[in-house]
Amino acid sequence: MNEVINWKGYLAMFDGQALMIQSPFMLDDSIAFGADSDYTTMAIAGISLMQSRGINFATVRSLPLVEAQAVKSATGVTVLSGDDSDEEDCEWNLLVGEEATLVFTNDLERNLGFHGPADLEVLDPTFAGDIAEAWSLELKASHVSQGAYVSEAAYLEGASARLNFMAQSHTTGLVWPPRQLDANGKRIPAPSESLTASATVESWTKLSAAGAPSEFALRAPVLGGIQTVFVRFDQGPCGVFLVADDEQYEPEIGDKVTFAVRQIYAQEGLIRYGMKAIPVRG
Amino acid sequence: MVDVAVIGAGQTKYGNHPSGLKGMWAEAAEQAFASVDRDFEPRCVDEAFIGSVAFGGGQLGNTAALLTEHSGMDGIPVRRVENACASSGFALRDAWMAIKSGQADVVVAGGIEKMNDLSPERRRFWLGVSGDTEWERLAGLTFPGTYALMARRHFHEHDSNHDDLVNISVKNHMHGFENEMAHIRKEVSFEKAQSGFMVADPLTLYDCCPTSDGASAVILAADHVVRQFTDDPVWLRSSGAGSDFLALHDRPSITQVRATQQASQSAYKAAGITAKDVDLAEVHDCFTIAELMATEDLGFAARGEGGIFARNQQGVRNQGEVCINPSGGLKSKGHPLGATGTGQAVEVFKQLRGSVEAPRQIRDAEIGITHNVGGSGATCAVHVFGRDRA
Repeated sequence: MNEVINWKGYLAMFDGQALMIQSPFMLDDSIAFGADSDYTTMAIAGISLMQSRGINFATVRSLPLVEAQAVKSATGVTVLSGDDSDEEDCEWNLLVGEEATLVFTNDLERNLGFHGPADLEVLDPTFAGDIAEAWSLELKASHVSQGAYVSEAAYLEGASARLNFMAQSHTTGLVWPPRQLDANGKRIPAPSESLTASATVESWTKLSAAGAPSEFALRAPVLGGIQTVFVRFDQGPCGVFLVADDEQYEPEIGDKVTFAVRQIYAQEGLIRYGMKAIPVRG
Repeated sequence: MVDVAVIGAGQTKYGNHPSGLKGMWAEAAEQAFASVDRDFEPRCVDEAFIGSVAFGGGQLGNTAALLTEHSGMDGIPVRRVENACASSGFALRDAWMAIKSGQADVVVAGGIEKMNDLSPERRRFWLGVSGDTEWERLAGLTFPGTYALMARRHFHEHDSNHDDLVNISVKNHMHGFENEMAHIRKEVSFEKAQSGFMVADPLTLYDCCPTSDGASAVILAADHVVRQFTDDPVWLRSSGAGSDFLALHDRPSITQVRATQQASQSAYKAAGITAKDVDLAEVHDCFTIAELMATEDLGFAARGEGGIFARNQQGVRNQGEVCINPSGGLKSKGHPLGATGTGQAVEVFKQLRGSVEAPRQIRDAEIGITHNVGGSGATCAVHVFGRDRA
């Protein structure tokens, strides 16, 4: 029997040669994504788990269900599509399951005998349906915020900081999010060091659905509001983050949190991914 | 160097105004012109600065030219000034500097915002444009959220709690109740304000200012021309300004606003006063926690004691050493973003001249200040007004 690991809000099983990662939620007897997860967020979590176990690779072969740019920014791994993978020396394959599951393997001939846990958290069907409908509407190309607006270019410019906590090393300490010139008028070097994904809650709020930004207007009523934490990373910089998956979590100042990549919102047909906070239990 | 006086001031009633931009601005300008004691006409004005966030996107470009065209001031140098909710506070500063520099003798500073002709959804788009769009907004934050983070942290670090914010809300509604120009002329009980609908935990509806339409204008004049227009000027003794990081997470502390500290310290120093000399302060209370923190940053309360200040009713009209928000503040008078800063100046001008509604009058007021903040504290302008020239 393989060991089940709680990792970035998902369940993972790793036998040293292959990794299966799945959502912890169930709907209608099938494994189902939570409110802000998809194959991309789960692929990023899976790669980061393998990297934490010393298994590093530059490329992975996958279906287009995984958004390559986000995976690259978050992990440094290039996702090859079926078309270009023939020409590449690609050791690892990412197999997308029919349900909310993914498998990383370097041996397609191998019999994968993973057994996931049976006692998954059951999603409320109405909640799941409403969230799916909201994402569907949000993903339409016509859904454009007309006020505060983060363009695709601006989003991608900050992607490595947003998805991998890449920070700038400066005489004053680590700088995150990235900044241009310092107080001496000198350009701060490009991000070169990643913050560890460990921080402490210094403040928090929960916005009512009526007060949520327009980008979240479709999902906020379903989620019962938007929960945000203000945290200080162990290395010093501060940041604000939404809380992942667990809408029941009521933060307290002093709580330790870690982070995982999740869907933030969609605009003009493009999902914006980013880190969300996950409380460290126990 | 030349001294600067306020010789006239006017504003629309704040709230859901029936007119569009042109009509609202004309009303405020007309009130300001009419408030000048001796004959005054728009042709007396050398230059104009008009603050606006251009809410809703209508007439984003050349706003000031359009508005001066509809208030008899066409042909003079004009510009729109944008610094979020501090837009007209900075328009006032620019107008003051134009006279100080000797480039102009009579200058209009004003502000305008039309916020209630939009659908609720479009309004929400625009309420977020002045925050940090790239990081804070992607973490689900609008201004109620950012100020809620400040409030919870202040409660954690200092002797303050939500009841202190309730006291501020009750006070400002009481002050605004008598103000004919106020958006919300309604007193609220402590119990009602305490149990308001939660907007951004821990801030309730009674901690948040309303979304208002409005326009305001003040007329400044150089000392050598003042007597042409009035024998009863209010002197604009100094202008201070500051700025801070746009996003909360880049600031060393989220329980104080550096921009306010910089602006007030430089304004007090230039006017030769301290916080103890101030009789009334129009403070930027977009959220009650903003007023609580401002009482500390402006020097009325020691660091961390803004909650105690509110608890002891020290900002209540004619009760403590200084009256905070005699107009009702943004909470009750209303907050038409770009119009708020010069709207505060209208209140101080009238208070120092003894011309507000009798129940609202601050007794023996000699010095008043305005405190106008952009966003969650990225920009701030503080102005000191006095009955005496210096």
